[in-house]
Amino acid sequence: MSAGRPRPDSRPVRRRRGATRWIVLALALSAAGLSLANRPAPRGSAYWRRFYSSRRYFDPVALQLSPHGRWLYVAGEGRNEVLQIDTRTRRVTGALAVGRRPKGLALSPGGRWLYVANTWSNSVSVIDTRTWRVARTLHVGWGPEGLATDRTGRYLYTANTLGNDISVVRLATGREVSRLPAGHFPAFTARLRGGWIAVTDLLAQLGAPEQPPVDQLSLVDTATRQVARRIMVPGAIQMRQIAQVSLPHADCLLIPFLQPHNLVPLLVLRRDWYAANGLAVVELHRHAPPRVREVMLDGVNRAYANGYGAVVAPHTPWALVTASGVDRVSILNIRRLLRLLRSPAQADLARNLADASHFIVRRLPTGRDPTGVVASPDGHYAYIANRADDTISVIDLHGLRSDGLIRLGRMRAPTEVRRGQQLFFDADYAQGRELACATCHPDEGFEDGLLWSFEVPHLGQDIVINKTLRAIRGTGPFKWNGLNPNLATQDGPRTATYIFRSQGFSPRQVRDLVAFVRSLRLPPNPYRAPDGRLTPAQARGRAIFFRSRTNTGAIIPEDDRCYRCHAPLTHYTSRVLMNVGTATRFDNTRAFKVPSLEGIYMRPPYLHNGEARTLEEIWTKFNPHNRHGFTSDMNKQQLNDLVQFLKTL
Amino acid sequence: MNRKTRFRLISALVCWGFVSSLAWAARAASPLPPFYTHWVNYTAANGFPAGEVYCVAVDGQRIWAGTEHGLVLIEHGRVKQIFTRADGLAGYAVMSIAIDRQTGSVWVAALGGLSRYSAGKFTRYTVFSSGLANDLVYSVAVQGKYVWAATAGGVSRLNTWTHAWRIFSVMSQPSAPFKEPWAYALALGARKIYMGLWGGGVVVYNQRRQTWRPYLSPSNSAEILLYRNQGLISNIVSSIVHRPRSKSFWVGTYFGLSGYDGRLWHNYLRQDSGLASNFVNSVALQGRRVWAATQRGLTEFDPATHVWITYRPANWRALDTATPPPLGRGEILITAPHRPPRRIATATSLAHNYVLGLAFQGRDIWVATAAGLSHGFASPTGDQHALR
Repeated sequence: MSAGRPRPDSRPVRRRRGATRWIVLALALSAAGLSLANRPAPRGSAYWRRFYSSRRYFDPVALQLSPHGRWLYVAGEGRNEVLQIDTRTRRVTGALAVGRRPKGLALSPGGRWLYVANTWSNSVSVIDTRTWRVARTLHVGWGPEGLATDRTGRYLYTANTLGNDISVVRLATGREVSRLPAGHFPAFTARLRGGWIAVTDLLAQLGAPEQPPVDQLSLVDTATRQVARRIMVPGAIQMRQIAQVSLPHADCLLIPFLQPHNLVPLLVLRRDWYAANGLAVVELHRHAPPRVREVMLDGVNRAYANGYGAVVAPHTPWALVTASGVDRVSILNIRRLLRLLRSPAQADLARNLADASHFIVRRLPTGRDPTGVVASPDGHYAYIANRADDTISVIDLHGLRSDGLIRLGRMRAPTEVRRGQQLFFDADYAQGRELACATCHPDEGFEDGLLWSFEVPHLGQDIVINKTLRAIRGTGPFKWNGLNPNLATQDGPRTATYIFRSQGFSPRQVRDLVAFVRSLRLPPNPYRAPDGRLTPAQARGRAIFFRSRTNTGAIIPEDDRCYRCHAPLTHYTSRVLMNVGTATRFDNTRAFKVPSLEGIYMRPPYLHNGEARTLEEIWTKFNPHNRHGFTSDMNKQQLNDLVQFLKTL
Repeated sequence: MNRKTRFRLISALVCWGFVSSLAWAARAASPLPPFYTHWVNYTAANGFPAGEVYCVAVDGQRIWAGTEHGLVLIEHGRVKQIFTRADGLAGYAVMSIAIDRQTGSVWVAALGGLSRYSAGKFTRYTVFSSGLANDLVYSVAVQGKYVWAATAGGVSRLNTWTHAWRIFSVMSQPSAPFKEPWAYALALGARKIYMGLWGGGVVVYNQRRQTWRPYLSPSNSAEILLYRNQGLISNIVSSIVHRPRSKSFWVGTYFGLSGYDGRLWHNYLRQDSGLASNFVNSVALQGRRVWAATQRGLTEFDPATHVWITYRPANWRALDTATPPPLGRGEILITAPHRPPRRIATATSLAHNYVLGLAFQGRDIWVATAAGLSHGFASPTGDQHALR
């Protein structure tokens, strides 16, 4: 045995050494943990603990900057919270729980109070920004989303998406004093310099089905607290965030919108656009009627789908418009835009895709699904909320470049539903990136309220109304003709072939997308009492819904009873095709899949072709032979009761 | 209290007493209200739709008139716009107009449905498209978030916040004292709704207690008055007006004028009062005075002094003929207790003696007649003495 060769350790020695190493490692980790724990906790530490432990994503959709630009407030509809971010350090410094689905933010004129619209709670949380506490909660109309105070801060205005109205709240008392009639799904508001509150509608006016859509901009006079003017934007839907430019002779509003080509058969549209994305430029003159111009934001070969946020950066010539479908923000030169609008040669701006190159100076990438945007008061930075990856994009407006991301949570592997959500808002899978699922199903799977001419290459044939994706789980087969047996078919090959005109999603992506669609829920029904009790009228309506005898005592045939086709146990649909006599000569099929009645109050028009603008019209105008349920014996009171019950579903 | 303060207090009391005594003296010396001696008429000659004007409403500086050809908006003395069914109005014949002071909406009752006008946009409510009881809507009134509509199928109530409808009629309220479904008139109190029914008298609904109280004519449906001041003068009610913060209300019927003071009824007929006609189309209040729009002119009545004043064209008898003459001078007929009636001629006149509705704009009055809309200007007090 040679002396130079080290003698191997005995087994007990090796064991001791191994144990020692483990102990040292454990001690080191403990020390590190203790040192971290002993550090002074930031104000948002509780938030981070909850954030990491929660499976829910933040989903930032709305932003507000404090008057001096120091604090950035972020509404996260996914976690029912509002964050406070220090714009100097770009770190989250505070988080507050508010009501359900916060989607709108507004600051009082001095910046002391932050108002948060809780869309699913029908309320507004009032946050004291000095103490960072929820000071009180105000009750407003149904589905508040956009909100703004007047210049004095005495009154608050909320755009109520489900009530189709605008709540006026007197802040001294916290009482809602009136509800002003708005358009269809009013969602975004802005306080204008001329003493107006502007409100844009997400959905088009309910009008004649064969007519192009018209979207509405409502102007509330804060002196009278009444709607003083309604401005129609033809051919447009989904008007969202409002940016304001002050001109010497007028105030000018820039509002992104969608221009759907829904009445042209989709097969004819194969080489064209299903939807174009543009900007409404509304000039508000002091002594003349308003003037509405429309320009396209899409390029010749590439669309910038789903315009969402808009802001004018102070002290700069720039306006920013986010395109949530393509993860881009377009930076516009306002002077060039206005010069183009004044040019007499530009007669048809609303259709000319080449015009965007005249005034768009940069298209910058953002995070996934960019939504709301704000600009700092000095015009140096803009901040963009990226809904589908929980980040805030920072744009340097001096250099017109991206200046990093503020992460609202630690990046972790997205869940199946999260991946599906990202796909849902992503237009990358459609030809020309012109549309995403969210284009026709805005507001997280809702419907655009439009008739679409699907698949049949004949003008005016088989035009059907778009349907919501909310609470769709368990209601298959899908489509009005029931040809799609499940969501995988609906979201996979069918979407790829007829709508996206591309290879569409991979099988795994389809699974993700289906998981997301199945996760979509309806908002709480405002017609239903919190304790579930029905009003006397609703109870009478329920009895009519489940009745088996007519008013004269005769037995109603089983197939003519309401509950037979709208079976309560299967989401108020029997999931089969039924001919209820609503087909017209423009339909190539007579029977349609029985739609679910859940959340029916919030989605007019009705019937497969959108002929019935109200629930009453289904029976007063489109059921002459009692094929859509036996209803001809009912008096007006009974019909009213039935409608009241249906609205609770 | 120091001397200076005491002096100021006494001075203020003396001033107040002096002003009050002057006002009292002025009232005592002038039992007559100001007269409407100057009339400007809106007829087909100056761009107003021809035919009957059923109602008129004042919204600040804007005047809304309901005609048989649509809704007319007058601003700054000119016809600004005429709205018809093509604009979204539910019907041509506009029977009643109500202004929602909170939202600025104008609610329009028409033979064809109910319409809401807000900032240039009409929304229609009909039997087919909403919970409205009937498309023949005769009266509309706004009470906070509720809109009430008197229709041929009962009274409908729309909650504008929840969009829920409720019907008050024989059919829907079997326990309520509805003798007839045909509702013609509405008046709103703080807690009570006064419903005037065609042949069914007045039915009062207490919203808080959800109780009903009928007011019927003791002579039932007879067209003669059997019991004076024992109840409503007739069950055929055309109009109701409620005096705010009181239990009293006035009822216009096709057989006279009735007033209820919360305890007793007071009935008035053409034969024994200064009422121009028993056929009352509409009633209104201006302070303590009651106005009745009748088929023979516009009558003003002061229950405190029992002075009646009627306005009508001087040639009103000829206006009812098939070929009416041009409108001439007007006349004011004054009937006061223990004094002979007086007749005063005016240079201008109401557009017609058949009066259907009225509304006040400050000191001015707007009158809906069978041949146009009339704008009456009150004479200054000096003129009034001259007239006397």
